Amino acid sequence: MNSVLSQLQPAAPHQSRLEEDDEFERTDAASWGSMAGFGNLSRTGGVQGMSVPRVSDPTSFLDMHTDNMSSNPEAKIKIAHGTTTLAFKFQGGVIVAVDSRATAGSYVASGTVKKVIEINKFLLGTMAGGAADCQYWETYLGMQCRLYELRNKERISVAAASKILSNIVYQYKGMGLSMGTMVCGWDKTGPCIFYVDDDGQRLKGDLFSVGSGSTFAYGVLDQGYRWDLTDEEAQELGRRSIIAAGHRDAYSGNTCNLYHVKQDGWDFIGNYDVNELWYEYEGKKKAERESQTAAAAAATSPMAVEP
Amino acid sequence: MFLTRSEYDRGVNTFSPEGRLFQVEYAMEAIKLGSTTVGITTPEGVILAVEKRVPSPLLESSSIEKIMEIDSHIGTAMSGLTADARTMVEHARVTSQMHNFTYDEKIGVESCTQAVCDLALRFGESVEDDDALMSRPFGVALLIAGIDEKGPQLYHTDPSGTFVRYDAKAIGSGSDAAQQSLQDAFHKQMTLMEAHSLALKVLKQVMEEKLDENNVQLAQVTKSKGFEILGENELKAVIETLAA
Amino acid sequence: MALYHNAPMAHSQEPTAAPIEHRFNPYSDNGGSILAISGKDFSVIAGDTRQSEGYNIQTRYARKVWQLTDKAVLATNGFAADGNNFVKRVKQRLEWYEHAHHKPMGLKSIARMIQTMLYGKRFFPYYVYNILGGIEEDGSGAVYSFDPVGSYEREACRAAGAAQSLIQPFLDNQIYFKNQQPEPGSQPFIPGNLPLATVLSLVVDSFTSATERHIEVGDGMEIYIVMNKGRTTDDLLGEGKLQKGMQIEELGALGEGSGERTFLVRQALKRD
Repeated sequence: MNSVLSQLQPAAPHQSRLEEDDEFERTDAASWGSMAGFGNLSRTGGVQGMSVPRVSDPTSFLDMHTDNMSSNPEAKIKIAHGTTTLAFKFQGGVIVAVDSRATAGSYVASGTVKKVIEINKFLLGTMAGGAADCQYWETYLGMQCRLYELRNKERISVAAASKILSNIVYQYKGMGLSMGTMVCGWDKTGPCIFYVDDDGQRLKGDLFSVGSGSTFAYGVLDQGYRWDLTDEEAQELGRRSIIAAGHRDAYSGNTCNLYHVKQDGWDFIGNYDVNELWYEYEGKKKAERESQTAAAAAATSPMAVEP
Repeated sequence: MFLTRSEYDRGVNTFSPEGRLFQVEYAMEAIKLGSTTVGITTPEGVILAVEKRVPSPLLESSSIEKIMEIDSHIGTAMSGLTADARTMVEHARVTSQMHNFTYDEKIGVESCTQAVCDLALRFGESVEDDDALMSRPFGVALLIAGIDEKGPQLYHTDPSGTFVRYDAKAIGSGSDAAQQSLQDAFHKQMTLMEAHSLALKVLKQVMEEKLDENNVQLAQVTKSKGFEILGENELKAVIETLAA
Repeated sequence: MALYHNAPMAHSQEPTAAPIEHRFNPYSDNGGSILAISGKDFSVIAGDTRQSEGYNIQTRYARKVWQLTDKAVLATNGFAADGNNFVKRVKQRLEWYEHAHHKPMGLKSIARMIQTMLYGKRFFPYYVYNILGGIEEDGSGAVYSFDPVGSYEREACRAAGAAQSLIQPFLDNQIYFKNQQPEPGSQPFIPGNLPLATVLSLVVDSFTSATERHIEVGDGMEIYIVMNKGRTTDDLLGEGKLQKGMQIEELGALGEGSGERTFLVRQALKRD
């Protein structure tokens, strides 16, 4: 694995231009024969030779030209960004809920992004940060998990899967990857969530929310969270939190995708329009208020006639 | 004859004047020492059967693994130096998964077989890049069974890196007799169950010990369920049909 | 080439009048717009043909839409040099694949492969927005859209490029029926089921309108139509089906041909 980083180091500036690491330079019989080339994957399935500009500081090159990490919103290359995601453990498994908005600067690049990545039947990953980083590496993680299964005749644990992911992103630390993801699943130890991010952080926990709308989601989530939530209550809490974030955070919204991880794998619960649901909640609140006032009025009126 | 051999049979990369690579031919001999392995194609799927040699009653027969899963739609059975096969199976698995990762589709059975055969030829003193390099040819033959859009397929690979497609094929020590029996009994419209009992019948003929659920292994690849190794009860059921 | 941080032959110690910036900037924006819309059994992929740099029009005919296979068409937008090179490499990979696997690559496979190719240059991105359109294995029309480093998604329609923000809202309204209410008592809207004629006129309207309001869009447009095998062509080739000034040609099968048909419609746009 160490070789990955060494391949990413820029070549010395004095090196001949002919030695430029080009897709074609790396081409050998195996990459156009039966294997027909696997992009930047090596024959052993590891990641190899990602193309890096031949400048002394590739990271600042990337920073200059992309709006990576939103540090340079004026940059030409707009990388799609993901925004509010949450996951929590409870007695009935793991609830995963996300929004579906991708923004490039202030433009809504997409309102139909799938921010839950189905790694396999038992594992889900969430997407916050660079959409491509999350999508690519979590699909790659799915491949590694399948290989683990073939080699060991046993499903990978969430802990091990998340560690594969954090090890990968650690190799690229400081190079500009952008991802904050929750790897969620059910293994021998029961329901499990690991938070993994681009600087290599990997945390086990009961409840996480990631993205610009996370503060709003946490507000609702913390207030309603209990371990012994029923399945329906838990799903509603996840949904309600995303709706709140979608309503208050401009970078989040459009729709909410809800998943429930149980012992026999995950279920897709549904897709909900953030705007519609918000007004549905408002309507319910109003109706409740009115019935309370009516009840209070009914309760107090006999008192009123008391002398 | 012997002299010519002794001069040219040491280097893995030296042809004899008659145009032979003796080390590769010797590797093929190694397969003839291996246990008998049978594969049969039917319209419903492909089956693989192997003899497990259990030389001692103290040996845990379930620890002998001669049929392995490559991907959910491809399996393989081996004969010869089974340790060498692990390298090849690992390569096949990684290739299949990388194909799936890169193209979002299952790899074709032939492509997977080709990938294994590419590896079979990567022996010798040195090649420009040095990953997974063998100093000698692999001493194992594989029967690769799978299903893709072209239907059920069975391939045979040998140490020379050649692969050929078969309707039914036997390899290993009893392969001559077994292949003859397959040829006599095989027909294109065989059901999966007929193939199961034919495979075991063929193994029974060439095995020295009495065939039971501990010294054979049976696997199948079907459209609906993909690759699976038959469990003890299913295996017993097939063995019972033989007796009847 | 501004590849070196310091000029390699900087022998002289004389101070220069002003600091010279040696910044590696390999990118340029060549304007233009692309769009793709999928139907039940067809897919339409279109792009304008103007190529510009700043206020300067470099050419009035530069191709942005490319036929890849009998069932796949790729549109590229952004930096033209990167786009052309990327298409070249995609075509090369398609050829390798066909040699190795004895079949043409399917649409969803092309989509995934494009992701891996774009991501392979994650740290030195292609400045290209790609939209892939065509016919899926099951015969349905499909559109895949990509960001420059490879995140992708299957959609019913997508616009990209200079006039993305002008065209996409129009498409949202007309294709996804966003902010539209069905007439009382009538059937609810089902996105992705529009007839070819409607889709074609939406494409033309998108580009003529974008040409009016965006300086980088215009000159001409190329519309590729990929049809599933066995589909009628009456709604395209029939008498009076095309608008005035449209030229149509059928692009022959690239390989053995599996029955899908690709048509190329050209239409002039304003050149001012």
